[in-house]
Amino acid sequence: MRYRIKAKDMQQRNFVVTVILVLSVTFVSAQDKFFTKNGRISFVSKGNIETITANHKSVTCVLDSKTGVIQFSVLMRGFEFRKALMQEHFNENYVESDKYPRSEFRGQIVNNSAVDYSKDGVYEVKVKGKLTIHGVTREIENDGKITIKGGKPHAASTLVISLSDYKINIPGIHRDNINNTVTITIDCPMEPLKS
Amino acid sequence: MVIVVVAIYAWSEFTRTVRPLTDVEPDFTTDAVALIAEFEANETEADKKYHNKIIVVNGMVKSVDELENTFSIALGDTNNMSSVRCVLDSNLVSAAAGIRRGQVIAIKGAITGFKKDDTGLLGSDVELNRCVIE
Repeated sequence: MRYRIKAKDMQQRNFVVTVILVLSVTFVSAQDKFFTKNGRISFVSKGNIETITANHKSVTCVLDSKTGVIQFSVLMRGFEFRKALMQEHFNENYVESDKYPRSEFRGQIVNNSAVDYSKDGVYEVKVKGKLTIHGVTREIENDGKITIKGGKPHAASTLVISLSDYKINIPGIHRDNINNTVTITIDCPMEPLKS
Repeated sequence: MVIVVVAIYAWSEFTRTVRPLTDVEPDFTTDAVALIAEFEANETEADKKYHNKIIVVNGMVKSVDELENTFSIALGDTNNMSSVRCVLDSNLVSAAAGIRRGQVIAIKGAITGFKKDDTGLLGSDVELNRCVIE
């Protein structure tokens, strides 16, 4: 009788241990990935006549903290300008948003092991990958920052691109107003991805 | 005289700012779940139909996210990862106060496209910006 009770106790204990293990494995794997759909990207072009800025508030970003794989994507029509005409020219003439509606970056944090995702702090990172704008994909490498606060990463970076590298042509009449060099700032506070 | 008129027109065009959508008549009124289904069924056709359009979307609030005074409201079915994501007009954010998950609301916005999920983790989104709560 005593043996039977002991055997039953053992079975229950094993079951509880198994449940705890499964839950902790699920928890750990869920914490590996982080995301946002409300990230920011802004760009600035300093022309001779004026400075043009545009903001995007619906950037999707996914980061796998285990592998360092990171991905950003935006719909080009989502960029907001102060001046309506600039927004129209941007979509219709420069980036041709109808033909190329989406831009994205797919890459990797090269020094991902330098980031302790469990410890608050600011970590300097190097990111390498493929940036696609206007249907042109180019290999890029850039510096960035991952800030960890309360277990959540915040990815930020500033990169400079040449419009001509992405076959974005500025008509002669606007060349004084739009610089071929554009500074892009990315700012993505992320949340854990609950699977 | 003609030169003056042309100059005034050119200047007004050059300085024209993006209009708030508060008083703009929508081109379409639809439901969030139906809109997502339309894009998921045939993205090319839906893109053509809603290209550069102003739309009123009725739906259940799945989430309200705030980041540095920018509000993003996701509408749709809480059992489906896909949503209609609406970024509120930055001049009209006070309207977001009090909006809660589960509430049924109508939002007017400019449709910017469909972001198909290629990660299999996040769900696809129909995105709207310059949104106002109706």
